[in-house]
Amino acid sequence: MSAAEPPQGANCAPAGGSAAAKPRAWGDHTIAVRVARGLGLPLLLLALWQAWGSASHNPRMPVPTHVVTAAVDLLRSGELPLAIVQSLSRVFAGFAVAAVIAIPLGLSMGAFRSVERNVDPLVESFRPIAAIAILPLAILWLGTGTGAAVMIVAYAAFFPIVINTVAGAKGVNATLLRAAATMGVPRLRTIRTVIVPAALPAIGVGLRIAMGVAWTAIVAAELAVGAKAGGGGSGGIGQMMFVFYAYSIELNRIIVCMIAVGLVALVLDRLLRIGMRLLMPWTAP
Amino acid sequence: MSNGVRIASAGYRPALIYLRTMLAFFVVWALVAIVTANSILLPSPLAVARAMLDLARDLELFLHAGISLGRMVVSLAIGSLLAIPLGLAMGLSRALDEVFDPLVEILRPISGIAWIPLALFIFGIGNALPVFIMTYAGFFPILLGTIAGVRSVDRRLIDAARTMGVPQRTIVTRVVVPAALPSLMVALRLGVASSWTAVVAAELIGAPSGLGYAVEWYRELLATPQVMSFIAMIGVLGYLGDLGVRALGRRLTPWAHDAAR
Amino acid sequence: MTGATQDAGAKLRLAHVAKHFDVGGAKPTIAVDDFTLDIAQGEFLVIVGPSGCGKTTVLNILAGLDRPSGGSVTLDGHEITGPGPARGVMFQDYALFPWQTVRGNVGFGLKYGPSGSGLSTDARARRVQDCIDLVGLNGAEDKYPHQLSGGMRQRAALARLMANEPEVLLMDEPLAALDAQTRLILQDELLRIWGQDRPAAKRRTVVFITHAIDEAVFLADRVAVMTTRPGRLKALIDVPLPRPRNDATRASAEFQALSQHIWSLIRDEAYRATVT
Repeated sequence: MSAAEPPQGANCAPAGGSAAAKPRAWGDHTIAVRVARGLGLPLLLLALWQAWGSASHNPRMPVPTHVVTAAVDLLRSGELPLAIVQSLSRVFAGFAVAAVIAIPLGLSMGAFRSVERNVDPLVESFRPIAAIAILPLAILWLGTGTGAAVMIVAYAAFFPIVINTVAGAKGVNATLLRAAATMGVPRLRTIRTVIVPAALPAIGVGLRIAMGVAWTAIVAAELAVGAKAGGGGSGGIGQMMFVFYAYSIELNRIIVCMIAVGLVALVLDRLLRIGMRLLMPWTAP
Repeated sequence: MSNGVRIASAGYRPALIYLRTMLAFFVVWALVAIVTANSILLPSPLAVARAMLDLARDLELFLHAGISLGRMVVSLAIGSLLAIPLGLAMGLSRALDEVFDPLVEILRPISGIAWIPLALFIFGIGNALPVFIMTYAGFFPILLGTIAGVRSVDRRLIDAARTMGVPQRTIVTRVVVPAALPSLMVALRLGVASSWTAVVAAELIGAPSGLGYAVEWYRELLATPQVMSFIAMIGVLGYLGDLGVRALGRRLTPWAHDAAR
Repeated sequence: MTGATQDAGAKLRLAHVAKHFDVGGAKPTIAVDDFTLDIAQGEFLVIVGPSGCGKTTVLNILAGLDRPSGGSVTLDGHEITGPGPARGVMFQDYALFPWQTVRGNVGFGLKYGPSGSGLSTDARARRVQDCIDLVGLNGAEDKYPHQLSGGMRQRAALARLMANEPEVLLMDEPLAALDAQTRLILQDELLRIWGQDRPAAKRRTVVFITHAIDEAVFLADRVAVMTTRPGRLKALIDVPLPRPRNDATRASAEFQALSQHIWSLIRDEAYRATVT
C-alpha cells in the first residue's frame, strides 16, 4: 500500500455511501447472491455429470436423469422403503442394546473412580477394534442373519455412548455436588438428582455420535454379509446395494441407495437432536 | 517436566490395575472356552496366542499389517493434502465456504462405506479401492475439524496482530494456523480413526491383501484363532496410530491441553 | 490476640486450625496455619485477605467440605465432620442446578435432603414460595438459571440457602462475579434478608468472604484480616457502625476510617500476593 492511501480504517469513513452502514457479517451481498453461490457448485457438477453420461456410450454409465427414474421405480415398488425399514429396525435394536448397557455403565464409571479404573482397560482395549472387524466373528457365531447385524451395531454404538457418558458424569461441575452435600443430600441420591441431569447433554452427544456410527455400521455389515452370503442374507439397504453391484449391475440404483443412506443419516441425526432438545428444556438455545 | 515426573512415579499403579483387569478378562474367557468346548466358536486364549505366534513367525501377520498401514498412510496423506488447505480456505473466506459447504454437507452423510459398491465398479478389487474409501473416510473429519479450528480462533488474537500492522498473509500463517493447530490435531485423530475403520470394511470386501482381507480369509477357513489374531492386530495398530497422532500433536502444539493430548 | 478471639458461648469455634495440601512429593503447601477464631451467634463475620491466602479453605473447613490437618472446628461445641444443611453455603459461581427452575432449585434441599422431612408437600411449596418472595424473585419462579441475570442468580442461590433454614450461612465471595452497581444493591438486599434490624439471638450467623474491603466494612460486625499464604489471622477489627446500614453509612467518616485501617493492614500482604 502506498503512503498516499488512507489507512485501512478509513473505509468506514462517513464520506462513503450506505454500504458503510450495513453490518459486516453478511458482507455486501444480497440473499440472491448467496443462494447462487450455494447452489452453484452442486448444480455445475450435476450438469457436468449429466453431459458426460449422455455423451458416453456405455449403457451402464449412471446419469442423473436415470438415477431419478431409478429412485422413482424403487420407491414405487416398495423395495427401497422396505430395505430402509429393515436396516433401521436393526439399527434401533442394536442401538437400544448398546444404550441400555453403556449409559448405566458410563454413569457408574464416572461416579466411582474404582469402577472406572477397573473397567476402563477393557473399554480402551476394544475401542480401536472397529465394529466391522468383529463382523467375521459375529458371522461365525450368529450366522449371516439379523443377529450378527444387531451385534455389530450394538458393539459399534457402545463405545461413543460409554465414553461420552463417562465424560459427562466426570465433567459435572464439582461445585454442584458440593452444593447438594451442603444441603444434606446423601451421596447415593446425588447420582440420580445431580449427576444424571448434569451429564445429560454429554450423554446426548454420545447418543448422536453413536447413531451415526450405528447407521454406518449396519450399511457396512449388510454390505459385507451380502458379499459373503452371495447376495442372500436377510435384506437391508447394504445388501440391496451389493446386489445391484454384483448381480443386476444397476449403477443408477446403487446411487439411489447411496443417496438414501445419506438422507437417512441426516434425518436420524435431526430427530435425535430434536429429541435431546425436548428432553433438556433447560439448555440455552 | 514436573507433571511427567509425578505421573511416572504413580505410573506403575494404573499399569498394575490394567494388568489385573486384562488377566481377569483372559481367565473368564478361558473358562467360558472350556465350558463351550467348541474350538471353532470360541478357542481358548492359549490357542489364539499360539496362532498369533505362528503368524508372527512366518511374518504373515506383519505382512498384512504393513499393507494395511501403508494404505492408511497414503490415504491420510492424500486426505490431509486435500482437506487441510480447503478447510483453511473455507474457514477464512465466507464466500468460499458458501460455495463448497452445500457439496460437503450433501456428501458427508454418505459414509465412505456406502461408496464401496460404486467404487468396486470403478476400481475393481485391488489396492486402489481401499485407498479411495479410506481417503474419502478421512477427508471429512479433517476438513470439518480444520474449518472449526479456523473459526474458533479468538478474534482478538487476529485483531491484536492487525493493530500491530501485521499484513493479512502473515496473519494467516503466523496467527490463524498456529491458533487452529490444536483443533487440527483433534481433527487428524478423528480422521485417522475414521480411515482405520474404513480400511477393515474396504479390505473385507474389496482387496486381495491386508488385515481386513486376512480376517475374512481365515473366517472362511473357520480358523477362529487366526481370525482373532488379526482382529487383535487391527486393534493394536488402531491404538498405536492414535498414540502416534497424539504424540505428533504434543510435538507440534506444546501449548495445547485438550483432546489432542 | 487470644483473649479477643475466644469466647465461651461461641456459635462457631475454630481452634488452632491448620490445613496442608500435598502436591506430589515436594514440601506440602500450608494453606492455613494456626487459625483461631470464635464466631458469636447472630454475628456477621467477614474474612478479608489477599488472593490465595486461604480464606476459601477456612470456609470449606467450616462447611465440612474439607477436614483440617490440625486443630478443631466446632458448631455449638459439636465437632464438624461433614457438610450439612445447618451450615448452608453460598458458592462464588452460585452453583444453581441448570436443569431446575428457580422453584426447583430453591426446593432442592427440601426435596432430597433432611431439611424437608416432616413437611407436607404443601408446606414445602409454601416455604419455597416464601423464600422466593423474600429475596425478591417472585415472577421468576419458573425460569431456568440461564435465563436469569447475574443478580437474579445470586438471589436464587440465596433463596435456596434460606429454604433449608440453616443456623449458619457461609458465603464464599458471593458478590464477586457481579458488576459494581449490582453489588451495592445486593449488599443492601443481603443485609435486609439477613435481618440486620433484628436482635442477634434472632439472626442467623454469617461467615462471609470477600476481597473488597468496603464490602467487608459495610456488611460486618467484625472483620477478620488474614495474612498471605500460609494464612493466619492477622487482626480482628470490630465494626461498631450502627445498624440498619445504608448509603449514608457508606459515606460516613467512620466507614472511611475503618476501610483505610483495614487496607493498611492488608496492603503488604496483597502486594506480596501479586509477586509470588
